[in-house]
Amino acid sequence: MAKKYGLIAKFDTPADIMHAAEKVRDAGYKQWDVITPFPIHGMDPAMGLKRSIVPRFTIVGGTLGFTTGMSMIWFTNAYDYKILIGGKPLFSPMFAFPVSYELTILFSAFASIAGMFIMNKLPMHYHPMLKHKEVAASSDDKFFLYIETADPQYSEESTRSLLESLNPVEIDELDD
Amino acid sequence: MSSQATTSNIAMNQDASLPNPKKWLTIGAIGLLISLVGLISSPIGAYSYLVSVLFVSSIAIGMLFLVLIHHIFDAGWSTVVRRQAENFLSVVPYLGFLFIPLFLMTMKDNGLIWIWMDDTASLHGHGTVGEDVLYLKKTWWLNETFFWIRAIICFGSWAFFARALRKHSFSQDSDGKAEHTFACRKLAAGGLVVVALTWSCAAFDWIMGLEYHWFSTMFGVWFFANAMRAALAVLVLTCTYLVAKGPLKGIFNNKHLHDLTTLSFAFCVFWAYISFSQYFLIWNGNIPEETFWFNYREEGIYFYIGMFLVFGHFLFPFLFLLQFKLKTAHASARFICCWILFMQLFDLYYNILPSLKDSHGEPYQMFSSPLNFVWFISGIVGVVGILLWAYWTSFNKVKIIPIRDPRITESLNHSH
Amino acid sequence: MASAHSSSSEPKPAILAEVNPVDIPRAAMVDNNRSFNWITEKICGIIEEKTPTWWWVLFIIACCTASFTLFGLVYLVSTGVGVWGLANPVNWGWAIVNFVFWIGIGHAGTLISAILCLLRQKWRTSINRAAEAMTIFAVVCAGLFPVFHVGRVWLAWFLFPLPNANAIWPNFRSALLWDVFAVSTYGTVSVLFWYVGLLPDLATIRDRCTSKVKQVLYGFFALGWRGSNRHWRNYEMCYLLLAGLSTPLVLSVHTIVSFDFAISLVPGWHTTIFPPYFVAGAIFSGFGMVLTLMLPLRAVYRLEDLITQYHIDCMTKIVLATGTMVGYAYGMEFFIAAYGANDFEIFAFVNRAFGNYAWAYWIMISCNVISPQFFWFKSIRENTTLVWIISIFVNVGMWFERFVITVTSLSRDFVPSSWGYYSPTVVDIFTYLGTFGLFSVLFLLFIRFLPLMAMAEIKAVTPQADPHHH
Repeated sequence: MAKKYGLIAKFDTPADIMHAAEKVRDAGYKQWDVITPFPIHGMDPAMGLKRSIVPRFTIVGGTLGFTTGMSMIWFTNAYDYKILIGGKPLFSPMFAFPVSYELTILFSAFASIAGMFIMNKLPMHYHPMLKHKEVAASSDDKFFLYIETADPQYSEESTRSLLESLNPVEIDELDD
Repeated sequence: MSSQATTSNIAMNQDASLPNPKKWLTIGAIGLLISLVGLISSPIGAYSYLVSVLFVSSIAIGMLFLVLIHHIFDAGWSTVVRRQAENFLSVVPYLGFLFIPLFLMTMKDNGLIWIWMDDTASLHGHGTVGEDVLYLKKTWWLNETFFWIRAIICFGSWAFFARALRKHSFSQDSDGKAEHTFACRKLAAGGLVVVALTWSCAAFDWIMGLEYHWFSTMFGVWFFANAMRAALAVLVLTCTYLVAKGPLKGIFNNKHLHDLTTLSFAFCVFWAYISFSQYFLIWNGNIPEETFWFNYREEGIYFYIGMFLVFGHFLFPFLFLLQFKLKTAHASARFICCWILFMQLFDLYYNILPSLKDSHGEPYQMFSSPLNFVWFISGIVGVVGILLWAYWTSFNKVKIIPIRDPRITESLNHSH
Repeated sequence: MASAHSSSSEPKPAILAEVNPVDIPRAAMVDNNRSFNWITEKICGIIEEKTPTWWWVLFIIACCTASFTLFGLVYLVSTGVGVWGLANPVNWGWAIVNFVFWIGIGHAGTLISAILCLLRQKWRTSINRAAEAMTIFAVVCAGLFPVFHVGRVWLAWFLFPLPNANAIWPNFRSALLWDVFAVSTYGTVSVLFWYVGLLPDLATIRDRCTSKVKQVLYGFFALGWRGSNRHWRNYEMCYLLLAGLSTPLVLSVHTIVSFDFAISLVPGWHTTIFPPYFVAGAIFSGFGMVLTLMLPLRAVYRLEDLITQYHIDCMTKIVLATGTMVGYAYGMEFFIAAYGANDFEIFAFVNRAFGNYAWAYWIMISCNVISPQFFWFKSIRENTTLVWIISIFVNVGMWFERFVITVTSLSRDFVPSSWGYYSPTVVDIFTYLGTFGLFSVLFLLFIRFLPLMAMAEIKAVTPQADPHHH
């Protein structure tokens, strides 16, 4: 017998799901989510979510990349094996700049994607939502909102009546 | 526009707390008069006057570029901001008049500013300009008649586009015809080509020509980047000021501010890219006929100004504008825009002043005499006074936003 | 945002009552008001349908053409770089021309996906996926030439700062080493950017799959994406950051490519405008290639509702703008050569226009500067066949631009006794032609197995995706 993961409600339009999310947010739920086939503008404040912190990963990656580039070039060309070419100085930030710049971007890109995966806990090939019978609709043209049983405020009656008050197309149980 | 509409506009825009244009005209006139004394009395005064004129030109032509780009992209969000840029365009026809004193002075003392105008000017141990083979090979471009004809073409074309864009935009407010928008788009297509060429020409003639031995194909692009940075900074300052004072309150929102500061950020990077590439290619090529220009700029105070530009005109604004919170708060945005304008002035000093040589042929040190500060400050006060006089005069005559523009609703609803 | 809430409490400015915009409607991003489901069906349908015959025909032709490159390179490796018609002083011939050509093609993909994303140009959504794929495949083709130009290709890893038996390191003062870093970073970041963009669409395909094999494969690469808004929040930020990183990256890549030429002292190469001029040229050629590829696809798959006349208008205008910028740079080079009063520079440019490669120069001018000027006319922009023909001209012209820059300056070097006339060998020609086959093979595989357009993004720009839409 499958354990219950939560209650899921289905909506037809972005406007409906947005209003529903605002109500669920105002009701004080924490363990809930909205499933949409594309990002809806204004959904983050509607769910009470703050700005993503992925940029912090980026800035760390970028700084690391730039210092790696500069120190690598200094180490290889001016310290470990001095190469004197074209009367140019052994080390100068001028000619070290292009490579350091590329490494800054490379490391920033890696860090941003790593940050996104870490914050989203991806890859995660197992999730109750992926087993839901209407998963194909969720990545096509329908909008879903589920509240987990793990939410401290969750109770069978009140949560269901809250979802019903949002005028969904359909309410279903989400198996774990 | 009917007289009734005009009075209602004035009643609407005029506010006791907003500056009176006449006050700025007075300030500008006083500044310019002192600056003209400098122009007549000393070479550094003349150079300072040139810097001031180019400073206000870079703001005004930057605004012209912004309006042209707005129209060519059929941009939406920037519609509420565009009107303020159009108000600044009212100064464009006066730029040519600001240039006339330079013309008169070079008639009297040929080599005062552009040394090549004087065949007898000494090249400090390398004969005179008239004997210089490099000059003789350049006479087809560097001759006074052609030089002043080019200046007239530059100022004339800018004034034409500025007036035409303003006329269409303001007429649309009253008659609400779609043709004005289409006319602006056509003007923008041609205008971008013409203004790009004339602005490059201005960079080559008025700045690069100061040191006529030197050449760089990038120079026009550098001057474009400069103008865009200055114009964006002034635009942010104006809009945040108008929000604080009331007229744009509830119209200019944080999203508009964010977009403007993001553009400032982009042009900060663009400026750095252009300046770095130019320096880097010359540094790496290491050919004396190009490097001497930067060598002069490493002598004395100019070395520190150069470093100040690297850190102050690029790194500091770059790191500052990287941060979402600082970019979207009015106080911090105003601060960084003031800073960028200040640095923009130093960028002009750095590119222009070392071309002035002392009696030994070394670059004239800009802080060598306290009197120089009088010329620097009076020149800037003068041109800023003229700029703001033109701006507020135009501001009082027209609506605060283009109310009949096809994209105005889109711009007003621009959020997130 | 916050202002939307706060404005309701404060009194509205009086001027807002006067606002009465003229009606000049914006073009729709998706014509005929299509539904979300129509978009999914249309795009997934392309990869779910039975493989069409024309695909097989093209695929086989492409494979045959690609084999030219294979044979050419095998012959080169087994014989030596001499099989390419390089001889002192023209040590850079078709190889670098082709390298710069392909890298340039790639730039439009990044431009569409990154710069237009930052500028919030919504029309990018229906072309960005294919354009990014084009970027990656173009980088693959581009990379072949310098790698094989090193001669002993099995030692190409010396290019990277890896500890080796000789205990020496690469020379970081060389622009060619900067290229290694620039191009490998560009390739990597482009793949990552493309893949991140693909995630939601891979999930859509996974959810629709009928066969187990496909479900496992697409599911594996979709990483368990489930469209959670808590994910979208980080995802969108990450995407925006990657766009923000790709923008300076794409500019830097062609800048560094231009450094290959500009940091040298060869007349005609050493000029400071090279970086932005190369970037403008790259975007120009890239958009030419996007048009060349997308217009036939649009016709074959009936995608007129997704790639509308508005999209074509935007692309042709960019071609026009960048073509004119390139024209500006050509003009500046001539002007500064004359103004600089350096006899060698003047000679280099006069030789370009009137020397023994004048034919290439005038092909370049007519294709790059003159042919895009036709896009000023609306009637030409609306004629798909003509647009396609001009896009071909753009591709040809940009190849000749690199040829003119490389060959005219090198074949008239500092020592007149070594002057000569450079011609490619048959190996050069076939290796180059083969890369079009390689590119086509990769592109055909892409349109068969991956969604041609970013479904999630297209849905997000339709009017019904706006929560305030009624």
